[in-house]
Amino acid sequence: MAGISATVAHVERIFALVLGIVVFFVAAIALKNDWNSKGLENHVFKLMLALLALGAFLAILASVNVLAGKGVEI
Amino acid sequence: MAVASVTHAGLVGRPYEEPDQLYLETRELRVQGFLLFMVSDLVLFSSFIFAYLYLRNTGQGWPPPGAPKLDLALAAINSVILFGSGATMHFALENWKHRHFMKFANWIVLTIVLGALFLSGQLIEYAKLAVGWGSSGIFGAGFFTLTGMHGFHVFCGIIYLTVLLLQTLQGKYTFTKYTGLTLGTLYWHFVDVIWVVLFSIFYLY
Repeated sequence: MAGISATVAHVERIFALVLGIVVFFVAAIALKNDWNSKGLENHVFKLMLALLALGAFLAILASVNVLAGKGVEI
Repeated sequence: MAVASVTHAGLVGRPYEEPDQLYLETRELRVQGFLLFMVSDLVLFSSFIFAYLYLRNTGQGWPPPGAPKLDLALAAINSVILFGSGATMHFALENWKHRHFMKFANWIVLTIVLGALFLSGQLIEYAKLAVGWGSSGIFGAGFFTLTGMHGFHVFCGIIYLTVLLLQTLQGKYTFTKYTGLTLGTLYWHFVDVIWVVLFSIFYLY
């Protein structure tokens, strides 16, 4: 049972790593494309995309155990 | 195929209708009003987050004895799913701006599916943690209140996006008048960004 859980966690980490890299680059490219856009909502969009890229980066670090909190199962 | 025919039927007649004066005058105000709503929601989340961090840092060590361990691998994949849904929603709006109706519909449906997947992942985590609920104390209160409140926002977002999709199928928005779609995208990004903070404080700190 513990072996199955470890395998599932391993697969989850690999998926999180791969998808995290994809999402990070997609958010970064979308931010680059929108960089010169004007208007209030576009400025908010840019901020949101930057934070989205940051979130994807944190998820990548978590998936490879570089970042892990005190109360988590590694 | 069915979606395509309904979509085109909904837009026939006025897909490129020019915005009227009233729309142009009130558009900025509506965006500002929605941003104020988001700020008020941010204040709500901030209050709970600071309360949780205060309790955590004034307690007798962390994690408290008997508290269940959080599943970092599940949280990481779940987070990426939610962040990915932010990207797909961005694509949906961009395709609407570029007048690609079917691509818009496909991306917004994918966003809704990813949002539902995120909620399913949350429920799986809740089911795992429910075993240790009795001894979790402040940890349980903070974790379930904040993630539950966020989950409720995601649930509302899924309904919101579904309504927006149905409204586009009925021809409520045109390629030149689509403030509702912009605001829906802002809301979904907001939900994503709140999760960046929650993910960091619960799983990485």
